[in-house]
Amino acid sequence: MEAYVKKENVIKADNLSFNYEESEEGISDVNFDISEGEIVLLTGNSGSGKSTLLKCLNGLIPAVTEGDMKGLLSIEGENYSELKMYRLNQMIGSVFQNPRSQFFTDNTTAELVFPMENYGFSKEEMKERLESLCKTFGISELMDRNIFSLSSGERQLIALASAVTMKQRVLLFDEPSANLDYGNAMRLGRLLKKLRDKGYTIIVADHRFYYLGGEIDKVLFMEDGKLKLCNSEEEFKQGNYNTRSFDIFSIDIPFPEKRQASEVVASLEDVRYKDILNGVDLKLNKGEITVLVGNNGAGKTTLAKALCMSIKPDSGKVDVSGLPFFIMQDPDYQLFGTSVKNELELVKKDPAAIDHCLKYLGLSKYKYKHPFDLSGGQKQRLQIGMAMLCDRELIIFDEPTSGLDVYSMLNVSKEINRLREKAGVLVISHDYEFIRHVANRVVYLKDGVIKKDFILDEQSLSDLNNIFKEMQEDKDV
Amino acid sequence: MKAININPIVLIIVNIIAPSMYMFLSGKFIQVFLLVFAAALMALMGRFKRLAIYLLIYGAIMGIYYVTMQIKSIEATGLFLIVLVQCVPCIALASILVSKYNSAQLLSALETLHVPRVLVVAVTITLKYIPTFRREFSYITESMRLRGIGFTWKRPVKSFQYFIVPQLFRCAALAEEVTAAGLVKGIDAPMNRSSYFEEKFTFADVAVLVVFAAGLVGGIVWKHM
Repeated sequence: MEAYVKKENVIKADNLSFNYEESEEGISDVNFDISEGEIVLLTGNSGSGKSTLLKCLNGLIPAVTEGDMKGLLSIEGENYSELKMYRLNQMIGSVFQNPRSQFFTDNTTAELVFPMENYGFSKEEMKERLESLCKTFGISELMDRNIFSLSSGERQLIALASAVTMKQRVLLFDEPSANLDYGNAMRLGRLLKKLRDKGYTIIVADHRFYYLGGEIDKVLFMEDGKLKLCNSEEEFKQGNYNTRSFDIFSIDIPFPEKRQASEVVASLEDVRYKDILNGVDLKLNKGEITVLVGNNGAGKTTLAKALCMSIKPDSGKVDVSGLPFFIMQDPDYQLFGTSVKNELELVKKDPAAIDHCLKYLGLSKYKYKHPFDLSGGQKQRLQIGMAMLCDRELIIFDEPTSGLDVYSMLNVSKEINRLREKAGVLVISHDYEFIRHVANRVVYLKDGVIKKDFILDEQSLSDLNNIFKEMQEDKDV
Repeated sequence: MKAININPIVLIIVNIIAPSMYMFLSGKFIQVFLLVFAAALMALMGRFKRLAIYLLIYGAIMGIYYVTMQIKSIEATGLFLIVLVQCVPCIALASILVSKYNSAQLLSALETLHVPRVLVVAVTITLKYIPTFRREFSYITESMRLRGIGFTWKRPVKSFQYFIVPQLFRCAALAEEVTAAGLVKGIDAPMNRSSYFEEKFTFADVAVLVVFAAGLVGGIVWKHM
């Protein structure tokens, strides 16, 4: 039998460049080629052109975003510029980070058949394909359910299955790990490896890539709109970009100084809520940054909601002195001001403090901009500014680093560390590196009870690492 | 009794025709007919809870209407309410349309009616926005409460502004996201769209439409007698 030869140049870019109509940003002189069955990592800081290149690859540039595109981009020898969007999408499957752009319908079955309906499949063909998808991804149980009632891991599976309904062989992922806990991210890594072994070509755009460690064939690293191509994971690691997060457990960060726990700012006593919280006892102290870890569905957000009085526990006692300042994951829901300055004024009318805060956060030149015109990282910083100004005793962050690049993450850590001077801080996170930068104390929530609660130092570091390993193993079952 | 399944097309047709019938029929007759028709249909479909809610709303508005009609000075309000109450049966049926069927089913239903594709996509995206809005509404009000800028009647305009501005920005972002979601799944494919959920017209569907048509024809005859 003839040996199967891998196709080369499945995707090829030749002097590709793109400039947005309304801004300076863009990409230029991009050259690369990707062969069949490769796992390619596309990374770079925010604003580096990473998303622009991704949009070129999935065709949303020029279909949705207009601008000036030059050079050549081809897939399996066909030129992108001559391909209609619907043709391109028979070859490329896209998985978006945001469920709103990922799912067109709200029902799992409807979502999986949606592309087939668009391409005019017969009902029999659809049934057959649906069955084989269920088998490949093990999602029979998830059929005919509301997509928003699924867990983030389950949703990821549906997204993945819907991206290959047309038997696409090239898959594009936009920040797939942003909404996944550690266990689910590692599982995604294994899944991608399996798909690669089946011959799929996989391109992943992400800030975190620990879950791909050892599997990357090529890295497209974007910097200031230019591409630096690394032909192996090794080559990428040897560059000067911060790639420590490949092996997250080996990072070496000094532990925060020990402090005498001072006044208690919030406490929970035997709090129970539905079957989510099953008797939680917790005391939060001023001057301490407590990180709450646990897999999705462990009850972390519910616990935060109990502290915010958004839910009333079935039994037990919640004792907080005034409402906490709660910073949710998506800043778009919590910015109400007409300008950056006004947003901070809504928190506290103190011009001197506001100016100081803006300067500290490097947002001074955006003072009169509308909050929605800021980038993701800037919005995040503005929210931290709000937390700095507020007079609340407890500040809660829900996944403050999802979708931030390494450098923004480091900035956020620095700023959160400062907050403990004036308040107690509770951080919900599954970003190991970030946790190491901010945590004084770690609380591990599992099945609605606190399994572990310890001060983080040299001795207890192994406890934290074990928690992460345990979270991963829970997903292997 | 088993709840019957009604083809979404039936509900769409009823919702298109019913409001325009006010031009041809006497107000009183169509008001009663639509109320009875919508209530019966909801009962047949087994949507008792929804039916009860809308009957309560209907009753409440009618109650206020009768009260206002007794007092000369606020009669105008009553006249406004009687116009408002006529919409309730249609809104109730439309609400079933949105809650019971997913957007893919609605899309197929509209396609069978041979509505142009552009319109179909526009309608589907609009319908898709409703549940999204409902979800986001609760996030936003919650976050306003935590920020301490909740709604106050003292400054209604300001409160409303806090609420509506983030929504407008969300709309712009959502429009792009939804377009992307549709495009990468071949919504622009020129092939004739097929449907996984397409259901044949059943006897029940036809019966419902016949009753609806008979009621309207009866109304016209009655008016001219």
